[in-house]
Amino acid sequence: MLDEALRLEDIYLSTNELSGTMFSIPRAVSYFENIRTSKGNDDFQLIAGANLTLKLGETICIAGPSGKGKSAILRLIAGLARPLKGHIYYFGEYIPSERLSALEVAKRQVGYVLQNAALISNLRVVDNIALPLRYHKMGTEDEITKKVNMAMDLMRVRDFAKMFPHELSVGMQKRVAIARSWAMDPKLLLMDEPTAGLDNYNRRNLLPLIDNMRTMFKTSIIIVTHDLMIAKELDCNLVFLHQKKLTEPHSFDYWLHSDSEISKDQFRDLQSVSPNT
Amino acid sequence: MEKTRLKNWQKMTPVGRLFHTLGIFILKTRMGQLIALFLRTVASLFDKSHNFKSDSRNIILQTFFTGVEIFPPLFAVATLFGTVVIIYLFSLMGKMGFSNNIGFLIVVIIIRELSPIFTAFLIAGRTGSSLTTYIGSMVIDSEVDALATMGINPIRYLVMPSVIGGTIAMIIMNIIFSTSAIGAGYLVTKGIILFTGNAPNLQITWNALSTEIIKALTKPDFVFAIVKPLIFGIIITINACYQALNIKRDIRQVPKATSRSVIMSFLYIVFTDALFLMYFVKDYMQNLSAII
Repeated sequence: MLDEALRLEDIYLSTNELSGTMFSIPRAVSYFENIRTSKGNDDFQLIAGANLTLKLGETICIAGPSGKGKSAILRLIAGLARPLKGHIYYFGEYIPSERLSALEVAKRQVGYVLQNAALISNLRVVDNIALPLRYHKMGTEDEITKKVNMAMDLMRVRDFAKMFPHELSVGMQKRVAIARSWAMDPKLLLMDEPTAGLDNYNRRNLLPLIDNMRTMFKTSIIIVTHDLMIAKELDCNLVFLHQKKLTEPHSFDYWLHSDSEISKDQFRDLQSVSPNT
Repeated sequence: MEKTRLKNWQKMTPVGRLFHTLGIFILKTRMGQLIALFLRTVASLFDKSHNFKSDSRNIILQTFFTGVEIFPPLFAVATLFGTVVIIYLFSLMGKMGFSNNIGFLIVVIIIRELSPIFTAFLIAGRTGSSLTTYIGSMVIDSEVDALATMGINPIRYLVMPSVIGGTIAMIIMNIIFSTSAIGAGYLVTKGIILFTGNAPNLQITWNALSTEIIKALTKPDFVFAIVKPLIFGIIITINACYQALNIKRDIRQVPKATSRSVIMSFLYIVFTDALFLMYFVKDYMQNLSAII
């Protein structure tokens, strides 16, 4: 249990949890309300009985057809949605779902790169990356500047440091968002579609960075993606979201050659192109 | 999970169960949630990770945003309104034989009642609506979620500076409204007399006006000149932030929430003002019987 970064046990998630933020309504009310409205109603259930175990320093890709709740699982892990049932352990520590909130999870150094990057639109790129560092007072101003510059160099956004997010392209925004998460030294990093919106060149640059992060900083990473080749290139296990459940993690090659329904759906074109790889 | 929750229920004593039910019931109402948001805002002041420099910068920015940009319309409204009140009072009350009560009436109408209300309306229309759209779009673009996942409490980062800044600006603007209604109102009245060749037949001097007003001012007036805008400012900003944070990931909800924020602010302000009136009712009744 001590070498686990994350463990999900028998998670149920309702669709009600995904609308809006959790900050307007007191937590107790929304918790009881949510249980009441979705009790005995299977239509609301987006995820039913998902299990997942992530070792420290391990990387995992979650794939599956769109609209089936892949991003919802990341929101759940990041604390932005609460499970109806089930247990979540972060680094071996159990947080009961009444107390589960994004702030509580963020204290345990879990970083989250959102699908649309979600940069703060009235701050420049530098300030965006420095915002959490300044808020948590992680070092003096010099140290913060150094750290921000390092993050910007890593993601190659140094040239756009003085720009506002709306002046950047989608791919660039995503790189800034990854830099922002990286600057916080996360122990567990959740990435929602990191390669969507990136061209081939930047995609190829991004993957070694993710690789570096897990070898140098021992970051555990969960990637939600449509891009199955990431799993092959990062040499990590693939998990599919199938029938409201998460499957067992297996390698890319296992899925490619397996005979299951998922492989037939997801790997059809890959199998037909290269039957012998 | 379900079973343990039921167990907790059964563990409660009848009194505890009553309080639990009552608490959930109160928190389910909108008023309860507004009060809860306000209390959480106050609590966020004492968060562990407070950064005085950036917080004070945010608060000052919010104060300027609320105060400076509202000044021209506020000044115009105050001046014209003050003119109307002064002309009516001097022309009508003089005819009816109540001319020794003019100072009292000016204090009641301008300083006590309408200055806080008008300022609150203007600020609700200007700052309340812009706060709702601003935070509402942040909710829709999931910037609020991003803040939370970085460990930044959105209530501290977004709501707290706007509440404090908005309230400070509200207090300052209320004082400016009162002074400009009386001062500039007096000047405009003089201008009207000068232009029309004293057609309304007014005898009005600054000396008489100011001594009358100072004579009529009492201690509660000074207290309420601070307390009223303080409470109105808190109501406006908390309500605006509450409406914004309640938006459900749908861009069409933003204008709806904005108009709701303004209208509800108006309602709450008038309601609270009526409550404040209770303090003065006894006083007014005595005055009324004295006049009669």
